[in-house]
Parts: sequence; structure tokens; C-alpha cells
Amino acid sequence: MVTNHSGGPPEAPEPAPGVLSRTIFNSNHKAIGLRYLWLALASVLLGMLLSLLMRVHLVWPAAQIPFLPGFATAPERYAALTMLHGSLMVFFVLTTAPQAGFGNYFLPLQIGAREMAFPSLNLFSFWATVVSLLGVTASFLVQPNAGLTLWTASVALFCLAALLTSINFTVTVLDLRAKGMALPRMPLTAWAWFINAILSMLIFSILLAGCVFLLSDCFFASQFFPSLAFLSQQPPSIAQPNLFSLWQRLFWFFAQAEVYVAMLPCFGIVSHLLSTFSRKPVFAERLAVFALCGVGLFGFCVWGQHMFSSGLNPWSPLVFSLLASSLGLPACVLLVTWLGTLWNAKIQFTTAMLFALGFVSLFLSGGISGIFLAGNNLAAASVSDDFVTGHFHLVMGVAATFAILGALFFWFPKVFGRCLNETLGKFHFWLTFAGVYCVFMPMHWLGLMARSQTVGGDLVALSSLGASLRTFITVATLVTVGAQALFLINFAWSLARGQKSQDRNPWRSATLEWTVSSPPPFDNFGATEPIIYRGAYEFSASGVVPDFLSQNAVPAPSESLSQAKQASETSSRKESEGIHARHKRSRRH
Amino acid sequence: MPGTSALEDIELIIEDIGGRGGKGPPAGGDDGGGGDSSKRRGPQPPSSRRYITAIVVALVSIVMFFMAMAAAFLFLRATSKNWTPLHLPALVWANTAILLLSSAAIELARRSLARLRLEQFRRLWFLATALGVLFLIGQLAAWREFIHAGFYVSTSQASSFFYVFTGLHGLHLLGGVFALLYVSLRKFEIAKVSRPVAAEIASYYWHFMDGLWIFLLALLYLGK
Repeated sequence: MVTNHSGGPPEAPEPAPGVLSRTIFNSNHKAIGLRYLWLALASVLLGMLLSLLMRVHLVWPAAQIPFLPGFATAPERYAALTMLHGSLMVFFVLTTAPQAGFGNYFLPLQIGAREMAFPSLNLFSFWATVVSLLGVTASFLVQPNAGLTLWTASVALFCLAALLTSINFTVTVLDLRAKGMALPRMPLTAWAWFINAILSMLIFSILLAGCVFLLSDCFFASQFFPSLAFLSQQPPSIAQPNLFSLWQRLFWFFAQAEVYVAMLPCFGIVSHLLSTFSRKPVFAERLAVFALCGVGLFGFCVWGQHMFSSGLNPWSPLVFSLLASSLGLPACVLLVTWLGTLWNAKIQFTTAMLFALGFVSLFLSGGISGIFLAGNNLAAASVSDDFVTGHFHLVMGVAATFAILGALFFWFPKVFGRCLNETLGKFHFWLTFAGVYCVFMPMHWLGLMARSQTVGGDLVALSSLGASLRTFITVATLVTVGAQALFLINFAWSLARGQKSQDRNPWRSATLEWTVSSPPPFDNFGATEPIIYRGAYEFSASGVVPDFLSQNAVPAPSESLSQAKQASETSSRKESEGIHARHKRSRRH
Repeated sequence: MPGTSALEDIELIIEDIGGRGGKGPPAGGDDGGGGDSSKRRGPQPPSSRRYITAIVVALVSIVMFFMAMAAAFLFLRATSKNWTPLHLPALVWANTAILLLSSAAIELARRSLARLRLEQFRRLWFLATALGVLFLIGQLAAWREFIHAGFYVSTSQASSFFYVFTGLHGLHLLGGVFALLYVSLRKFEIAKVSRPVAAEIASYYWHFMDGLWIFLLALLYLGK
């Protein structure tokens, strides 16, 4: 019998009376997670607007842009725009939404906890993130020098918030799991959030150290980057590339791994979605967990890959190149588990599933272009800036955004109790999917062409082709960004009057968050604590009616004696092989 | 099938450890859980283990922070063309001794708390806190001495590192002083965490700050 173990939770108690404690000082993990998502939504809209401005400026440089007079003639404004676009997207969307947003909301629910380990710390991190977002945005509006200082200080604050968040996540996973939720039984999403928390704990410390150096140079005139003061008095042509070496090292130590900080939770989410909508267990789930660990480990080790062009020991490019290439191994393992999950499955093409499949596609094509970049000689690989931009956006920015959107479509009914409109969602998916390929594939070609121009070739033909490609990219960007209006309409409309989700588990998923009402009550599981009996992906393709087993569904009587005793032990060893048989048996009883 | 059975063994080990919330802290010698008998805890009282896990995790993060700084020090030391050697003010050696004494005092205090000698605990804990404050004052005096000798933050890269290392370590230690004060002043009847656990956590942090200072000092001294 599949019953809801914690069905009918008591009426959720109010957090506390008073407006302030319900809004600003609300430290409930669901409220904080949701607010992180709103923050990410605001940032992504602003960031998209900025990228639009950049594309327009690239193609029609003379165009006057409202609110930004003199933009056409001031190169440093364009540079500042690029910087703001990058900071917003990387820090406040890609780092924040999958980890702090969805993680805060669903990690305690998925592991059967009532709260994060340290709610007040969590609240502090959130508001520090908000302040840092305001600081980064404001740095665009003030004088360049003061702006840079403000930017650095804001990023330092963001690092601090990210560190506290990751400590919170790590402790929550280690110490707050419900009875029976052994590590191998955790959903892959929880695994990904856990590994990602450890990774970001390590690398945000590095960026924080770098920011402290910069700030100390600014305020106390210390001598860590003496070249910076020197450079500001020189024309740019004098700048020697290796002057910045220290900052480059500190920064890339962070930034290379930051790619994986953005991607790891997305890997988890995509594995989760693929399994749920294929109605099959994750193929080689344990291997997938090891691959996630491998991504974290390698991602931490390859910072030197970005230093090829700025001088390293002669032997180290080889080492880093090997390391960077070996990142392909866990990536391939993940890909195999995804394809293995999809193999022979009756796939349900919901919008969430489409976005997960889109993620796999983007990850694959971005990964292939990444092979060129892992080589230690960019010149030999015949690529240039546009190629790198295309690769980076495809694999990090767009792929992660797809995972975020997939997660949103998947969890929207749980968070708001209403479903997003599927038809509109699919329309939005196909437009976006075609749009991003139209934007970023030509960018790869541009990069390849720029190189062949320097090598020699029909210059006139190439440059006219390049110009038309650029225009094409810009138009495609306009269309793709415009398509996001569909999503906004869908989001706003569904929030207000979308179809109410009658079922607390509309996707028939096996993890714990679906066993509580939607939206989940204040203390998640009410008076009873969930007890977990099995892994997170107990789907059966054999055609029985509820084709899944919730993690906390009480086992049928014949097994319950032996199983309840071992609930916190290792009964799940043979489960992966025996699920179908056992499932049938439990039907019979 | 030998391959899968090895995997299963690993899984068994993980599950044995993690049946009810993760691994114990590596440093926690004496049953790092205080009152962790709460297998069937009610909704509210949280187990104290999370605080010990949190401090271990936080210390890892602080290690990374200072490792990045140490790496920057070694990097600039190796590549800088005009590296001027640094003469540490003599006072830092006295300060080091004070900090070591403070660490010893805190260890004794923790042991007397474990034997329930509360009065002795209070006295030793106060001694450790006072020595910590004395260390901070001593560091400020060392800065003064350094400035009088003509070394400012902006004098050279080495002196920049001296000020930043001592300053950041001092800030972290100041946090530690507040933690020690919390342990001695807090009314633990109403707190979420018991006094022995709080004392244990604070002492981990304090010993760590002690070790960190020795490391930074060795770096500055040997790398001059």
C-alpha cells in the first residue's frame, strides 16, 4: 500500500505575529529559498536587458540608447556594461538560483528535515546577498574608480554570504537527515547540493582572499598589486600581461571552479527530472554520485588552464591541460547515466522534461567545443574570443538556465499549489531552444573565422560574412529575449489563476517533498517525522498503477518486519535489482 | 562479482556512519555530541552535533582563506624583483608565548569542566580570555613598534603582508574572544546548546587560531 506517511499534517502554526517577522526576518527555509528565486529572477531580467544593449551596440554602434546618453562614444561604459552583465548573471543567477534558491527550499524537504541547520545564519546570508546585489548594480552608476571599489566590496560580501550558505548546507546534509535517510538514499539533487556546498566553501574563500587584497590595496595602500597603481598612470599599450599574474591566479582559482558551482546543482536537477519523467530509476545511480564528486574534485584543480596565455612554468600547461581534459571523464559518466535513464523509457514530454532534455543537448554541444579549449595552445586550436564566448555561454549560462527553468516547471506546483501552463511552456521552450542555438552557434563560427583571417584568406568575403553573422546573432538575441516574455506571462498568469494542483504529487515523484501538501506547511512534516525505507528513484516500468514508491511509504506487511528493523541500515542494497519483483509482491498483498 | 561487492562494502560503511546524520567531527575525541541521545527527539530541541560539524566545516573554509593568502605571499616572494626583507618586531615572540599559554589554559578549563569543577573552570576560562585580549593588545603594540621602526603598510610587499596577516588573524581572534565571553556569560539554561558543547566548540576555534598564528609567523619569519 502506498500511503502518505505524514498525511494530514496539523494546521501550520504562524511563524510569529508581526509584519516584520513574517517578511524581513522570516528565517523559514522555504521563505528564504523563494526570496532567493525572486532575486535571481530580477537579476536575470536586468542581465538579459544588458546583453541586449551590448548586441545592439555591436551591430549598430551609432544607435542612441535611451537613459544611456554618450554610450556610443564611451568605450569604458561598454566595458562596465559587460562587467555588470557578467556579475549579475554569474553571481546572482547561476550561483544563487540553483543552489541557494531551490536548495534552500527543497533540501530540507527532500532529506526529511524541518529546517536548515542554522536559520538565522541563512537569513543573514540572504540579506547580505541582497545588499551585495544592490552594491554591484550601483557600481555601474558611479565613477569608474569608486565603482570598482564598490564592486569589489560587494563581491566580497557575496563571497561571505555564499560561504555561510555552504556551511549551512553541509551541516544540514550531514546532521539533519531523517531516520533512514542514509547517504546512498538521498536524491541526486540533495547529493549535488551537498557536493556543491563543499566546493563553493573551498573556492569562495579564495575569491574572498583576493577581494581582501584588492580592498586593502585601495584603502590601506598596501603593495599586493603594485602594478595596478602603476598601470592607471600609463597608456594601455604599455600594460604588460604578466603584471596581473597574482590576481589572475586567485581569480581563476575561483572562476574555473565557479563554472562547476553553477553546473553541479543543475546536474542533480536534470538527473532527477530525467528519472522522474522517464519513469525509470537513474541509470547507475551510484556512478552518477561518484561522477558528481569527480566534477567537484577536478573542477577545483584546473584553475591553471586559464593561465596558459599569461605565463606559467613550462611543464604546468601540460598538467593543467590533462586535468582539464580529464574533466571530460565525469562529464561522460553523467551523460551515460542520463542516456541510460532515457534508454527504452516511456518518456513523458512535460515542459520540465523538455528543458532537462534541452540541457543535455546544450551540455553535449558545449562540451564538444570545450575539447578544443582544453588544449594548451589556443592559437593552435584556431579559435578566438567569439569562440570562447560562444562556448562559455552555451555550456554554462544557457544550459544552467535550462536546468533552472526545468526545475521551476517541476516544482512550481509544490511551491505555489498551482501548475504552470504546459502549452505555453512548451511553446516557450521550443522558441528558446531554437533561439539560443541561433545565437551561440554562429558565435563559434565567428571565432573560427577571426582566426582564419589572421592566417590569411579572402579578407573581403570573410569580413562581409562576419558582419552579416553578427547582425544575425543580434536579431536572434532580440527574438530569444522576446520569447522570454512568454515565460513571464505564463509565470504571472499561473501564479494568479493557474490550474490548481489537486494532487499533492502531480508528477508522481518518489521523493519526500511530494508527500506534504502544496505549498508545504510551515514545519514541513508536522508532528510526525518521516521514516525513509528506500532510495529516491523507485520507479517501475512494469505497468502497475502507482508505478512508484515514495521514499517514506511503509513497506507491505511481509517485508515490514525485516525492513523496519533495518530501516536505518542497509536494506536497500539489493533493492536496485529487486525493485520490480518486490514491487509486484507488494501489490499482491 | 567482486566489483559490485566492493561498492556495496563502501556503501555499507557509509550507511553505518550515516544512518542518523553524518560523520562525527574528525577532531572530536570525546563523544562529540554532548547530549546526543536524542534518537527520538521531538520537533524542537536540535541535537548539538550540528554545532560541532559546523565549526569543523567553518575551519576548513578559514584554512582555505588563509592558504590563498599564504600562496599569494609565496608567489610574490618568488616573482617580485624588489622584495625587501622584513625584520619582525621582537614583541611578536612574546605575543606568541601569551597565545600558547592561553591555549593551554583553555584546554585545562575544558578538562575541569568535564570533571564538573565549575569554579576552576570559570577561573581558567577567564584566564584564557584575558590572555587572548592581552595578545590582541600586544599585536597592536607590535604594530606601533613596527611603525616607529619606519615600516608602514605601503612600505613594501613584505610589510603589507605583515599587516594584513596580523590584522586578519587578529580579527578572527577577536571573534574567538567573543565566543569565549559567550561561553562564560551565557545562561545556558535557556540556550540551544549546552555549556560543555559550547566550551568544546570555542576551544576548537581557539586552538585553531593558535595554530594558525604559528603558521603565519613561521611564514613571515622564514619567508622574509
